[in-house]
Amino acid sequence: MIKTPPLNKSLGIFPKSWSEKNAGRIPGNIPIWVGILSELTEFALFFVAYFVAKFYYPDIFSQGPQNLHTSLGVANTVVLLTSSYFMAKAMSFIRINDKIKCERYLWLAFSCGCIYLIIKTWEFHWNTLQGFSANTNEFFTVYYYMTFNHFIHVGWASCAILWVIFRLRSGAYSAQENSGLEALAVYWHMIDLMWILIFPLVYVLR
Amino acid sequence: MKAIQVMKNIKAMGKLEYFLAALIVITLFNTFLGEQFSSTTVVCILIALTVTYKGFVVIDHFMELKHANKNLRFLMKCYFVIFPSLIIVSAFY
Repeated sequence: MIKTPPLNKSLGIFPKSWSEKNAGRIPGNIPIWVGILSELTEFALFFVAYFVAKFYYPDIFSQGPQNLHTSLGVANTVVLLTSSYFMAKAMSFIRINDKIKCERYLWLAFSCGCIYLIIKTWEFHWNTLQGFSANTNEFFTVYYYMTFNHFIHVGWASCAILWVIFRLRSGAYSAQENSGLEALAVYWHMIDLMWILIFPLVYVLR
Repeated sequence: MKAIQVMKNIKAMGKLEYFLAALIVITLFNTFLGEQFSSTTVVCILIALTVTYKGFVVIDHFMELKHANKNLRFLMKCYFVIFPSLIIVSAFY
């Protein structure tokens, strides 16, 4: 009943050992992985900037997290982890052609995305009330650089969930063909992974 | 194999639920470490190890790369070895 999705067509520019036949199936599709690897590179630059800045301003980076609302950071971490779980469940249900439960879990993931955006907006507002901005010091510059960028990613990925729900309702996905849905799922997990790294850097390490 | 994997994931209390619980507990543990202790080398190593573990869980079980493309899995896992390693290095600043 559960069929393995067809292999992605390769561009024919990579060694044979990199082909799906030899290296294994690519979840989603090749373009989304080009996007994911580009995003990972972008975030890698942010992380390198964080460590370089921390090297030059250790005291500021030691004090910085103490000025943040840690509870909001923890809440957002739990929300994003839960959203990843909902996305994984949505994938499991489309594979058995249960579109109703798949859609339900996609709405739950979308709700988590919205909750994250609301909490983050509130956190930015709270920072402003405390007198902190991107110009306060080097820590806050890096903090806003990383977290606002991540905020934008969650925003557009949440919009993408709405698009995928629309496509699911239109009958575009099934147990046999769900590469579009899977592409969104791996992108969403990538956003969650980036937050897993951002959270200890800006909220925990002192 | 694939069918077994799907059935495990749709169970009411399957492995995804256990992994989610573990990830949340680790997040709270990390926060506790950060709140209660200054960032000593031991704390930084603990946090770096837990970040690596969280990353590996999401990569293998939520992103489902465990049984998928080995090159992509390798790249993703490298990411979650390199940056947590920098957390440990930063403890010596």
